[in-house]
Amino acid sequence: MMSAFARFVKPAALFKRASPSAQDSSIVVDSARKASGGRTRNRVVMTMAVFLAIYSTIAGRLVWLGFQDPDASGPPPSRVTASRPDITDRNGEILATDIKTASLYAEPRHIVDADEAIDKLSTVLPDLDYEQTYHKLKSGAGFVWLQRQLTPKQQAEIFQLGIPGLGFRTEKRRFYPAGSTAAYVVGLTNIDNKGISGMEKYLDDQGLTDLQQMGLVKDMSPVKLSIDLRVQHVVHDEIVSGMERFHAIAAGAVVLNVKTGEVMAMASVPDFDPNNPYNANDKDRLNRMSAGLYEMGSTFKSFTTAMALDSGKVGMNSMFDASHPLRVGRQTIHDFHNMGRALSVTDVFIHSSNIGSAREAMAVGIEGHREFLHRMGVLERMQTELPEVATPTEPKVWKQVNSLTIAFGHGVSTTPLQTAVGCAALMNGGFLIEPTFLPRTVKQAMEGAKKVVSEKTVAALRYLYALNAEKGSGRNARVPGYRVGGKTGTAEKVINGRYSKGHNFNAFVAAFPMDDPQYIVLTIADDPKPEKPGMGATAASNAGIMAGNIIRRSAAMLGVQPDFSHENEPTLVSYQ
Amino acid sequence: MFRTSDIILIALMVSATAMTYKIKRDAEEQQTAVYRLQAQIRTENDTIDLLRADWSLLTQPARLEKLTDVYSAQLDLQPVDAHQFVKLGDLPAKPLTIEDLTKQGGDMADSGQDRIVTGAVQ
Repeated sequence: MMSAFARFVKPAALFKRASPSAQDSSIVVDSARKASGGRTRNRVVMTMAVFLAIYSTIAGRLVWLGFQDPDASGPPPSRVTASRPDITDRNGEILATDIKTASLYAEPRHIVDADEAIDKLSTVLPDLDYEQTYHKLKSGAGFVWLQRQLTPKQQAEIFQLGIPGLGFRTEKRRFYPAGSTAAYVVGLTNIDNKGISGMEKYLDDQGLTDLQQMGLVKDMSPVKLSIDLRVQHVVHDEIVSGMERFHAIAAGAVVLNVKTGEVMAMASVPDFDPNNPYNANDKDRLNRMSAGLYEMGSTFKSFTTAMALDSGKVGMNSMFDASHPLRVGRQTIHDFHNMGRALSVTDVFIHSSNIGSAREAMAVGIEGHREFLHRMGVLERMQTELPEVATPTEPKVWKQVNSLTIAFGHGVSTTPLQTAVGCAALMNGGFLIEPTFLPRTVKQAMEGAKKVVSEKTVAALRYLYALNAEKGSGRNARVPGYRVGGKTGTAEKVINGRYSKGHNFNAFVAAFPMDDPQYIVLTIADDPKPEKPGMGATAASNAGIMAGNIIRRSAAMLGVQPDFSHENEPTLVSYQ
Repeated sequence: MFRTSDIILIALMVSATAMTYKIKRDAEEQQTAVYRLQAQIRTENDTIDLLRADWSLLTQPARLEKLTDVYSAQLDLQPVDAHQFVKLGDLPAKPLTIEDLTKQGGDMADSGQDRIVTGAVQ
């Protein structure tokens, strides 16, 4: 503006200098300029004022806008969720995956015609509630959700409709197709897609989250578990129906590969649906197989027998007096079925004699007993991938009475999974192999294996397991063709500090096929009642039946060849 | 007025401008195509993820078990029994009848075209 003014003044000066000879004409010009000079000045000032006003208005408006809060519309800030690798079972079936879901929102202020918008929307979303949506769109609110979790197809179709004022917000969500079937093993993630339990937590503990934050991991290959979804379903199905059938407060089972330590299936009920885990933190929602501590009862006699035989102090034909209860200090050890005679090691095992087992432990001694159970890993904290692992408890000081009761599984608490692992060592040739939830080969397993008992002890234990399933308490778990062996365990539960007669914790450990054991199945039933009044509530009549059913339904999937050459029943191969 | 070299230079300039413009245009179009393809790939990937989840949901053993129960009348599927597994070696040999023997022999004689090619046949 100033320059314009300057330019206006300058020509006159130039004119004067350029033509000093033309004084006469310059007078006319000069006077003409003078005649209108005052008004020109005024015009210039006015123009300046107008422009100044316009620009200052704009500047003022900008400052005012700068101080204004932005319009409170639009979706809430989106959660940044890290992507996680898929989790699959050993056959590649998906157990957990990330899916992207889009949610539809509207900004009613920007909706031009609510009726038209709803009409168009209902072509894609037929179950849209007309009235409710209409009120939402007419509400004048800054932001409303219309429909959560659309499929990509629906999203694309709504996008194609081109309705103004609608938008999408995509979110990653963890989805578990198997639902509650493998809930405890697979685990859960929280709202930020971080693992909080099970294998999901294990993955995060392996440094996955750190890698992601550094942006190193983009495409993650799926993580394969050792779980077989089909077997897992069988196990879950059996314990769910078993818990109901035997009126138990909880049930659980694990199928363990004896040679590799892989957990093929593990489930515990009551459980939760990982897709809607509203009750996952309830008090009774606990992975009882690895995080529950129980006095395992007579299944511990497997260890007592193995210990007695492995020590070399006891042979298969050693006799133990079990004709009358054993008195230690103030306590008396009874038998459930007193045979009233001296029993051999075989008889002690088959008749599940508490007195006999106590005498076996006595033969080995307190220190030897304690050392053996630690060697078998049943009193150590288990080393495995699953974060939910309980630490077994034992008496601080082992006295004679402790050793004698521990011989038949009372006085120490351990997890069922550990018991299964210990029994696996007694079946696979004497190698203690830590359980794993990731695939492992026999070779890898043997690298970390620890020899705990001799071949001879293993052979004796295999014989006892097989015999017990044929003649002893394990008959309910027998499955034709699959040569099942097993041991029952009925432990009285401690209620208010006393062993209670009416409440049991039952377990059954089964191995099959007995000629070369491949798998251990351990089932538990917490506080089961007789199925029908008058029927038994011991381990054989609930945990044993569950184990038998699991083996019957899953043996073929586990790749065990049926063989009837050991069965006594005549087989007829029909010819034509 | 204009020298030939001027005309050539002007022509060069004009054509260079035209070419630059065209290349720029083409590049922009290609870029748009790339963005579109990237968006398409993202959608496809998301859809694949979703379909895989869907597939595993539909093939859940629990669901299949329920379905076999519901359609047991039509499908008549039963859990496999241990007795139904037989090794190949356990199968009895197929009994031979005299007809089989003669038929087999007959086939050989009738349609037995010799596959050996000798120098004389060609």
